[in-house]
Amino acid sequence: MSAPSPSSPLLPSRAPTPERALGKLFLTLFLRGRAVRGLKKAGVPKSVGWKLKLILGFYAFAGCMALTSLSQPVFTLAIYLHAMTLLFLGTYIASSAGEMLFNKEEADILGHRPVTSKALLRAKIQVLLRMSLWMAGAFNLVGFFVGVAASDGGWFFPVSHAFSTVLQALFCTGSVVLVYQLCLRWFGRERLDTVMTAAQVLMTVGFVVGSQVAPQLIARFGRQMHVQPDAWWMWLLPPAWFAGLDDALAGSHGKGSWAMAVAGVLLTVLVLWLAFGKLAQTYGAGLQAVNEATGSTPGPRKSGRGLLSQLVHAPPLRWWLRDSVSRASFLLATAYLMRDRDTKLRVFPGLAPMLVMPLIPFFSASDNGGAFSGLSILVPFSSCYLGILPLVALGLLETSQQWRAAEIFRAAPTPGPASLCHGARVAVMCLLVLPALLLYGVILWLVGIGAKQFALMLPGLILLPVYALIPCLRGHAVPISQPPEGVNAAGRGLRQLVVMFVSLALGGVSLWAFSTGWFVWFLLGEALIAAVVYLLMSRVAASVRWSSLE
Amino acid sequence: MISAHNLTKRFGYQTAVDALSFVVPAGQIVGFLGPNGAGKSTTLKMLTGIVEPTDGTATICGFDLRRDTLEVKRHIGFVPESGAVFESLTGLEYLVMIAALYGIPEDAAVARIRQFIAFFDLSFETLTDKLLGAYSKGMKHKVVITAALLHNPPVVFFDEPLDGLDANAAVGFKALIQTLAREGKTIVYSSHILDVVERVCDRVIIIDKGRLLADGRPDELIAARNAGTLERLFTDLTGGAELERRAKDFAMTFRS
Repeated sequence: MSAPSPSSPLLPSRAPTPERALGKLFLTLFLRGRAVRGLKKAGVPKSVGWKLKLILGFYAFAGCMALTSLSQPVFTLAIYLHAMTLLFLGTYIASSAGEMLFNKEEADILGHRPVTSKALLRAKIQVLLRMSLWMAGAFNLVGFFVGVAASDGGWFFPVSHAFSTVLQALFCTGSVVLVYQLCLRWFGRERLDTVMTAAQVLMTVGFVVGSQVAPQLIARFGRQMHVQPDAWWMWLLPPAWFAGLDDALAGSHGKGSWAMAVAGVLLTVLVLWLAFGKLAQTYGAGLQAVNEATGSTPGPRKSGRGLLSQLVHAPPLRWWLRDSVSRASFLLATAYLMRDRDTKLRVFPGLAPMLVMPLIPFFSASDNGGAFSGLSILVPFSSCYLGILPLVALGLLETSQQWRAAEIFRAAPTPGPASLCHGARVAVMCLLVLPALLLYGVILWLVGIGAKQFALMLPGLILLPVYALIPCLRGHAVPISQPPEGVNAAGRGLRQLVVMFVSLALGGVSLWAFSTGWFVWFLLGEALIAAVVYLLMSRVAASVRWSSLE
Repeated sequence: MISAHNLTKRFGYQTAVDALSFVVPAGQIVGFLGPNGAGKSTTLKMLTGIVEPTDGTATICGFDLRRDTLEVKRHIGFVPESGAVFESLTGLEYLVMIAALYGIPEDAAVARIRQFIAFFDLSFETLTDKLLGAYSKGMKHKVVITAALLHNPPVVFFDEPLDGLDANAAVGFKALIQTLAREGKTIVYSSHILDVVERVCDRVIIIDKGRLLADGRPDELIAARNAGTLERLFTDLTGGAELERRAKDFAMTFRS
């Protein structure tokens, strides 16, 4: 072992700039993720170019939906394109920006290197902007040409839409960065992590819910409220500002559109100035705060942990969680759902569409009265759709950046993952599914579902425990045990698809039983079958043994 | 080469480092010792510009830590205790990226990296074919050490550098830092492996609760306190002797 000569000259002949190196680094990290289950990565890593092409291809494919808006007015088409672009960009940027802007490990790697916090911020923003522009471009690719065929469109539409899309991408990225900077400025170091997590979760859920519900609201109320650029409520929707720009430049050229266009441009400039100019100086302080977070000693934490510890030892949870392993797993899952930023950012935005999707048909349907018509027809289908909620939640809770810590489960004297899965399942049912169902019930009541029609929720509810057992059949519900990049997304998606089809079929049968007077018998039969299936599945789940690690 | 004057760091009401002052000349290997939570890592993080001091000053290679932070960073190398790396990069991607931050062109960086991997008995294929997430702890640590020395810094801070290294690599590493010191580099070496510190370091600084407890040549400090070994000196100064009695009492609980 001969030591490398420390004094050999290292005179740069063609030195790359640190900014360029950082840009390349953050783009690679953005596309590959920050942590990998290295054991599975035996081969040469795939290039980020390949991954990028795949993402952009997906967005371009999703953008083909614009073909359904052929011959629509420019404003209508543009508002659709901008709303969807905002959804995709918003969720993508909001979920990635926190990790990218304030990463704790980064301080140990880059904190002592000769780069300023400003250079770091600039490189990160460039990557975020570049990604948003690429994604927005890919999604709007088909829309550019559809706009040419719009009823009041023309050949100038692609140019105007390219401009408005770039503007919107800048607005979206700037808004996300601005929220982070404001969190940093308004709340101290002690609460920074908690506040930023809450902001990120709310932003992502807001983007998802807003973009799903807004088009339905427009479709439902638009006719009464005139979907025109000059409608007052349009000013509340950011996509409308950029659609106004399209309409002003390549559509109706109306005054309302011009006003919106000006608002869009000015607000984008303002957001960019605040996010990247005015508040960028506080970024260095933010990084310091993150670096110091590990060295600080926060005051006593008022979490629900103490209360939960008492609850698991009291009925009914004590009956449900009979052994110490499942109780520990319950508390672990609960702690991660309440405290861990990574878990919260994965679980809550991931569940938001599950909650919104079943409600969307209610916005576009109308009740004509009767049991087999109007809104009531949607109840069993929607509640069955909600059945996949525990399935999705358990899948999301299974992954964590701290998956290595779960190796202790394998070292513990447990024959298999059954008790751990059980604890996580109970946590998901109590903390996520139950509140979601209550919320769903309240919303159904608000949209005018009668007490009698509420019974149509029962077929879906009866099957909930069965659905929740599905991941446990192969031990795939051990909390925080898998790296986010290492899960079999295709297999998980297929499971959800099958459950959804079964749920929809069940919804159809229950509706038939309801209309023919066999509903009570149907419920009894379903409950009996569900109980038998549940017992059988429980046995299978209990017999599962640890699979060998790859 | 390193001069710290009243270096202080407070986190809220807690003082992690309390008015620490010392001077380290060029070519010296200084063992930086203290029990867990003594403030070693915070001190190293302040000296490397990762954490801003609450009070006090420091200069490294004549550059003021607060005023010329970038110049300080250009002149230091740091092996953090965490051994953190970007796990989704290959070893080579990571090292070339780090080199670029110091303005080292890729070809020069690769030539230097080859020297290090030969020294650490790593294969170049490992560096190119595997993501860092797939490396063992020891291999990852070798990459982190390489990343700290790649730009040939005159001052190097090591925080638990032997963590995860196998016996051969540890022996080689000790020889490396002694060679580096002979070449005129200043080394600050924080470790809990006291016999290694005793053999390798010219001088030790012992801190506890952020305060300086002892500073001098290991043999002189040991002789002055009639401790016999550095480990005994360390436990005497930091209240570790009490731990032996507590350990005996605790072991008794296993009998019941």
